[in-house]
Amino acid sequence: MDPFAPLRSRLAPPAEALAQTIAERVVGLVVGALDLNALLAEIDLNAVLAQVDLEPVLDRIDVNSLLDRVDVNRLLATVDLNQMLSTVDVTALIGRVDMDQVLQQVDVNEVIGKVDLNAVIDRVDMNAIVQRIDLEALVEQTDLGAVIAKSSGGMASDLVDAVRSRTVGVDESIARWVARLRRRPYPGPPGPPAGLQAAAAS
Amino acid sequence: MTARTGEVRPFEPPPAARESLQGHYAGFASRFAAFAVDLVVLTGIFLLVLAAINFAASVLTGNSVHFNRGNIWVVIAYAVWAFIYFAHFWGLNGKTAGGALFGVQVVTNDGEDVSGRRAIGRTLAFPLSFLILFLGFLGILLGDQRRALHDVIAGTTVIYCWDARAARLRMLSRPRYSAPRTPPESPSLPESPSQADPSADLDQAG
Repeated sequence: MDPFAPLRSRLAPPAEALAQTIAERVVGLVVGALDLNALLAEIDLNAVLAQVDLEPVLDRIDVNSLLDRVDVNRLLATVDLNQMLSTVDVTALIGRVDMDQVLQQVDVNEVIGKVDLNAVIDRVDMNAIVQRIDLEALVEQTDLGAVIAKSSGGMASDLVDAVRSRTVGVDESIARWVARLRRRPYPGPPGPPAGLQAAAAS
Repeated sequence: MTARTGEVRPFEPPPAARESLQGHYAGFASRFAAFAVDLVVLTGIFLLVLAAINFAASVLTGNSVHFNRGNIWVVIAYAVWAFIYFAHFWGLNGKTAGGALFGVQVVTNDGEDVSGRRAIGRTLAFPLSFLILFLGFLGILLGDQRRALHDVIAGTTVIYCWDARAARLRMLSRPRYSAPRTPPESPSLPESPSQADPSADLDQAG
């Protein structure tokens, strides 16, 4: 028979209570002293993610039902995305994802239906796009030229165009010659009148 | 759309006529050429009318009428006809026959259409530019708005009214500027780079 058994049975409860109190106090002090952000910064997320096989995990997840249960806006509001992304090698992560499989689960028509195309087009500078098109090469090298030829005049209009072009060339030669005599730079054909400029602008 | 090959370019417009000059002030050569055509047209019509009158008189009276430049009535009739010709066309749409041919148009300083009154004023002031030893036309060469004396008096100017860029695109679209590629003369000849690569023909033609 253990001679200390009565003593142990009498001291054990208060000792356990004391140990519990001390442990709670110590844990509270340790947790309070820990800088979780610094601790997270120490963790190499890339190394952790490298050990995870994402494909079977993604296969088992019903993304749509999961997203239905998550208040994404509230979740995202609490996340410092910049800080998180700065620690992640996004390129390597994307390289491991089978995008075809992901896209098969996405209803593209529904996504496009949510896009306001008019707003997108309003933000596009169509004039700048048109300016980048080489119309002469387009007309010269494609059947579009034949369409234009069918819709416009014949030999007479070509002759008139040629005569006008030549005369404009002579106009410019004379203007440059006069500018040289006057020792002034020639910036090109002047105009148009103010009224025409305003009409073109409107 | 398919590519056309073997381009032959018989006419290449000057650089100034590759961009649209529509609305810019017309230069001396265009205006002078337009005036020369107008002179030919109005003189031709006048001579035709004189010939018709001569023919009618010979049929009706049996005597032919001889018109010459010494006849004051012929000169007056010619001046009146020229006045009607220019005033009518400038007031109508700013374009005479010559102006329409060379793509120039008379407009007001602000680019508006010329009214009938302004067209008459311009026609009356037109001879002044000649009478002062053609000095009235110096403004076309030296002025920023290329205005002659009669333009200044009438408050008008002359602009290009044709789209040079559109004309160039029309010209480029003509199928007759494309010539079929000649086949190789002998099949035994080694294949040339241009035969091997059709785009090489385009590069050489372009």
